[in-house]
Amino acid sequence: MTNVNCDQLIDYLNGTLNEQEQKQFEAHLAECPECRDIVDATGELPYLAEPVQPDAGMKARILDTVFDESEQDAPIEKPTPIREKTAPPVAVPKRGFRTSKWTPLVAAALLVSLLGNAYAFYELNDQPNAPTAPEVAFETVDLQASETFAGAGTAALVHEEGALNLLVQANQLQPTSGDEVYQVWLLKDGKPIPTGAFTPSQENEGAVFFSLEEDTEGWDTIAVTLEPNRGNTTPKGEVVLSAAIEPEA
Amino acid sequence: MEKISDALLYERVRSKDKDALEELYDRYEKMLYSYLCKMTRDRDLAEEALQEVFVKVWRGIGSYDESKGKFVAWLVTMSRNSAVDLIRKQKKPSVPLDEIAEVESTESSVEETAEWQEKSDQIHQAVRHLSEEQQKMVQLFYFKGYTHETIAETCGIPLGTVKSRIRLALKKLKTSLQAVQEGGVLDDKREL
Repeated sequence: MTNVNCDQLIDYLNGTLNEQEQKQFEAHLAECPECRDIVDATGELPYLAEPVQPDAGMKARILDTVFDESEQDAPIEKPTPIREKTAPPVAVPKRGFRTSKWTPLVAAALLVSLLGNAYAFYELNDQPNAPTAPEVAFETVDLQASETFAGAGTAALVHEEGALNLLVQANQLQPTSGDEVYQVWLLKDGKPIPTGAFTPSQENEGAVFFSLEEDTEGWDTIAVTLEPNRGNTTPKGEVVLSAAIEPEA
Repeated sequence: MEKISDALLYERVRSKDKDALEELYDRYEKMLYSYLCKMTRDRDLAEEALQEVFVKVWRGIGSYDESKGKFVAWLVTMSRNSAVDLIRKQKKPSVPLDEIAEVESTESSVEETAEWQEKSDQIHQAVRHLSEEQQKMVQLFYFKGYTHETIAETCGIPLGTVKSRIRLALKKLKTSLQAVQEGGVLDDKREL
């Protein structure tokens, strides 16, 4: 090692330098080809691992969260985030969700829009010479709270041309702590798929919108669990809200 | 078609270009996820660590510029440190590594698989030229998620010595890797 800065290389890689030390070391990196070459070599180390193919939904989950967090944490950037569009269905690839952090007002506007859309189709179908409208069915259900939970919620499901749009809103929620999130699930014969997660607002309210392009599953139950962390593909926490739903005809 | 460099993409990310972040994500998703799976032995934890990395990239926490070396090395360092933090907080038992291997997908393209194989061969060759002690240091630091403090404790070696050994191991790795990548076939003898 040539000087005291080179000594800090491993602390740098270990992420244990304080802010000022890190800046100093990064300035050193710009001037020390040996340290920089060593750092560069670490970029190849992951290839010592066996390749593991991520599941198909991981990218959407991660990028949704990345962009979602940035929008919440930087409210002055754009007054109208993309999820606040009220024209359903939101175009998403095959299966995807937009997570919560909406104000209940925005969620309510989306719900009205969804139901309005469905109603318009019904009206159209009542006219004798109406063109054939896409088949639309909608239902709303009140979610029942478990014995130990005080919250309440509703779910709106709009089946449209084989696609399913789902909006869940909940209020009087217990605040989450640490990494906890409320996770919404659709179930068929007890088998769940995750359909979005949310953390409650300061008013203890939350909402999630989920769009399923191929609604062929015949879901019979909707449930909300309180999960210890985000990203679980099967429920690990307790069910706090749930309701039976009519499988699509 | 020439591929836009990581550094240029990162510049676009700094100006909040979502497509640029997605491109960077696509480039390194599998590589970092595989690494994080090996390190955490848990797919959920690996995903969480990867998510943390890209949240940091997007939010400009710990910004990157080319004077710090290769972008991918910067990502690997962030990935390692995110995983170390999560492993510390983790309470549930890890999924055995074998189970992770079992769910390995076959969806990779032929090109992708070939590229992985080539890179993997190179780094394995380079590692074979480290002493056993040096291999152990790399293994503990990069794949077991041990900090150098923990290595010092568990191996009963002074902290300064551990740092020197990891540095020497990485320096040797870099030299060997360079030789392999420049087309030289290293003989198999171990050297310090």
